[in-house]
Amino acid sequence: MSAQPAEQPKTAATADPGDRSEQFVAVQGGGETTSAEALLVSAYIVIWLLLLGFVWLTWKRQRGIEARLGDLEKALQKSARE
Amino acid sequence: MQRSHAGFVALVCLTAAVVSYLFYFAFLKAPPAQLAAGGIAQKIFYFHVPSAYAMYLSGAVCFVASAAYLVGATDGRDAWARAGAECAVVFGLIVLTTGPLWAKKAWGVYWTWDPRLTTSLLSVLVYVAIVVLRAFSGSGDAERRFAAALGVLGTVNLPIIHYSVRKWGGLHPTVITKGGGGLQHPDMKHALTVGFIALTLLAIVLLVLRARAALLSSKLARLEEEAIFSGLDEVA
Repeated sequence: MSAQPAEQPKTAATADPGDRSEQFVAVQGGGETTSAEALLVSAYIVIWLLLLGFVWLTWKRQRGIEARLGDLEKALQKSARE
Repeated sequence: MQRSHAGFVALVCLTAAVVSYLFYFAFLKAPPAQLAAGGIAQKIFYFHVPSAYAMYLSGAVCFVASAAYLVGATDGRDAWARAGAECAVVFGLIVLTTGPLWAKKAWGVYWTWDPRLTTSLLSVLVYVAIVVLRAFSGSGDAERRFAAALGVLGTVNLPIIHYSVRKWGGLHPTVITKGGGGLQHPDMKHALTVGFIALTLLAIVLLVLRARAALLSSKLARLEEEAIFSGLDEVA
């Protein structure tokens, strides 16, 4: 038995155009590339965005109420002067 | 009034402190879980589960206030029902977005039509319907009653979410249903306990804020109507 020389991996420069993939085949247990850290950080960003967005909407609503209250106050004062 | 305001400010400060501590502890102290549970992505659990609990709490507030409104209509009951539905939507969205991010690592997919996931989605959609109804259909008594009826019916789904894992199985983990026995490290149990306290406080703060705003808005709308009937055209 003679040792076979290890096959060198093909690079972009040495690859034959005929080696290009012409089909994709589904495999079981394919490489999982999603980073757990990225998912964790994404989750915390989502939590903060939702909570801060909700607080901002609440603040905006309060400002709207204050503006309406101001209008009512002005109308009442004007009416009282007349 | 002054005392209640000071109490609320103290509650907000306490909530901020506990939420900050939760972030610190969950990120830096709680150990990551085994790879099959998502590894470091399992830390999402310390916000995901308490958020689900906060959704139940908000849903319960919506249910009680809606039922009370159907018995005897008042602005206060309507305001709490509305606040409950709004907070249930926010916490529900947190659950429905953080869960899939964790699932991507633990299960390999973002979403699967697991019984608990499906019933949770259904519940959030019911609360979204209430919020949309109240936002775009005015504040007449008929609209309020319809929203209150939805609030009562929507909350019936919450126990189904909770027991769906036991009754129908599925992929969703059941570490909490074992009385916390599924968390094999004391720091994990501590992080979850802090998570429950933090999200409960946060839910209370948000519920009070939204209910106050809704109540003020209702009262103001009545005053504006009275002013218009009295001939104050500037208000219109």
